Amino acid sequence: MRWFLRRLAFYVFALWVAITLTFVIPQLLPGSPIGGILQRLTPQQIQNNPGIILTYEKIFGGKNQPLLKAYWTYLDHAAHLNFGISTSNYPTPVSEIIARTLPYSIALVGISFILAFALGTTIGMFAAWRRGGGFDTIFVPLFMALGAFPAYFTALLIMYVVGLRLGWFPIQHAYGTSIVPGFDWTFIRSALDHGVLPALVIVLAFAGGWVINMRTVMINTISEDYISMAQAKGLKDHRVMTRYAARNAILPPLNGFAPQFATAVGGVIFVELVFSYPGAGYTLQQAALGKDLPLTQALLLVFAICPIIAIFIIDLVNFVLDPRIRAS
Amino acid sequence: MSQVQVEIQQPAPSEPLAAPTASHHRVRLPSWLTLLLRNHKAQIGLGILFVMVLLAAIAPWIANASSATNFVDLPRQPPSWSYPFGTTDQGSSVWAGVVFGARRSLATGFFAAVIATVLATSLGITAAYAGGIVDEIISLITNVAIVIPAIPLLIDVTAYLHSRSMLTMILVVGCLLWAIEARILRGQALTLRNRDFIQAAKVSGESTRRIVFGELMPNMVSRIAAAFILVFYISILVEAGLEFIGLGNTAKASWGVSLYWATVNSSVLQGEWWSFLFPGLAIGLTVLALTLVLVGIDEVSNPRLRGLPKKRRFAFRRSAA
Repeated sequence: MRWFLRRLAFYVFALWVAITLTFVIPQLLPGSPIGGILQRLTPQQIQNNPGIILTYEKIFGGKNQPLLKAYWTYLDHAAHLNFGISTSNYPTPVSEIIARTLPYSIALVGISFILAFALGTTIGMFAAWRRGGGFDTIFVPLFMALGAFPAYFTALLIMYVVGLRLGWFPIQHAYGTSIVPGFDWTFIRSALDHGVLPALVIVLAFAGGWVINMRTVMINTISEDYISMAQAKGLKDHRVMTRYAARNAILPPLNGFAPQFATAVGGVIFVELVFSYPGAGYTLQQAALGKDLPLTQALLLVFAICPIIAIFIIDLVNFVLDPRIRAS
Repeated sequence: MSQVQVEIQQPAPSEPLAAPTASHHRVRLPSWLTLLLRNHKAQIGLGILFVMVLLAAIAPWIANASSATNFVDLPRQPPSWSYPFGTTDQGSSVWAGVVFGARRSLATGFFAAVIATVLATSLGITAAYAGGIVDEIISLITNVAIVIPAIPLLIDVTAYLHSRSMLTMILVVGCLLWAIEARILRGQALTLRNRDFIQAAKVSGESTRRIVFGELMPNMVSRIAAAFILVFYISILVEAGLEFIGLGNTAKASWGVSLYWATVNSSVLQGEWWSFLFPGLAIGLTVLALTLVLVGIDEVSNPRLRGLPKKRRFAFRRSAA
């Protein structure tokens, strides 16, 4: 129970920090929410309409409110998922853009990151079990090297080789240009087809970290007495490996899942950009370049909340896997 | 961003029991450093790193500075004798871009890592040494900071900054990457704090300042170095990433900027592999080199991680003070 309360306090605090941070950053930095709009107007347009700046400030909210009042308004709006109107996609509300783009990112990152975790820990497990063997000497350096290359570089390389030279998979967008999104077979097939390359990049880029992490922990676990005990009892080799060693060794990598997920969320922005994949990351990049303050603010909040949700899920998994937590 | 997260092990600041013939006139390296220099992975890593730094240092003698960013010859030439890495869509030399880019990329990553390390070391050690409520607060902030994804935050911050100078980049990246390091170092300091030699120093009435700087820090040097390397390569990746999406100074040569121009001019779609392959390889090799050094440090402190049993074995003992 005490563990649960501590975790709850952590979620609440992290959530509060995420919300406050997205409020504070635009306040501290130069530039105003309407900067993005004014950028698009000619000096004549501004000169000829003296009230134009005030009007825009009324629509998008300026910086002239007292800080506390502005903060309160922001909290109120955030609670109602009202993040104002996007200046680069005027007059679409920010929440609508996020609702349109986020599902693609969640599907892409969710599936590929879990795949990367499963692949990485499995390889790490085998590498540690047969330490110094052929599997260990080939796969560990290979995945380490893959992990060293930035995700966007791997993306460019795969796009060039698999997409362009071999032409196996489409290299841009999330679905075919002539297809209308909907829950029908043609759309799902097209979406899966378009998701293969970005997902492959994420798996390759992130599996390496898990391989090293799992191998390190697993090697330490193998030297524990209960492993020798299990082997002495004459249990089958793979049973000792999975049920005795791996089950205990998986806990530290699992706890590293959330911070890794936070980095992955950032990496996805680059992958989406390379493949022009219309997810939240691509939108954030476009919004930041277009100085679309309401949209970047809301997207930053979304990106900050994702890892908190991931931690929550990991805590639940931990609760199931680790009897020590249940006991306390 | 691809992270090779290396589990940082218990310190066991170890030294060979029998230092056979330590000649008196030679400068003695710390024992962990000599062990590290004997580790093959660390040797390869340090070798690659040395080549990269050397290329950056002698850049003006092996490439023409103005050809890194300006038009010098026909655009879109594949690699040839006069342009070993080919030319970009802008007609500048990819080779010059990579060599001069090394200066900017390595320097930004290095100094950002220095800032992050200073922040992390002071916060981590303060938290571990002070304990109690101070520890609770610093740990909570650290844990939250780890969870807030740095890249979207950096994108947000850099998008609104007017300055895109190297100094801004260093400050922004450095101030946002301290958290991972702080957590590692706090854990490290925590295990050391309860060791006998620290307790002995406390009992003998030494000042806190002297215990922290005279007893605690010297025993953490190898760990701080490892954490520094970790943040060093993360900041190289992060900085290149920000430049890649167009939030850096696109007029200056750096690895990220080279990749940015390669995508903006859709070189990939036109089949110009050389414009993105070489800057990307430069980033990847540097990060790989740093990872190898880190793995080397890990293997030195935890001999079990080594692939094959070594013929030469060291006797380890816990160093007391």
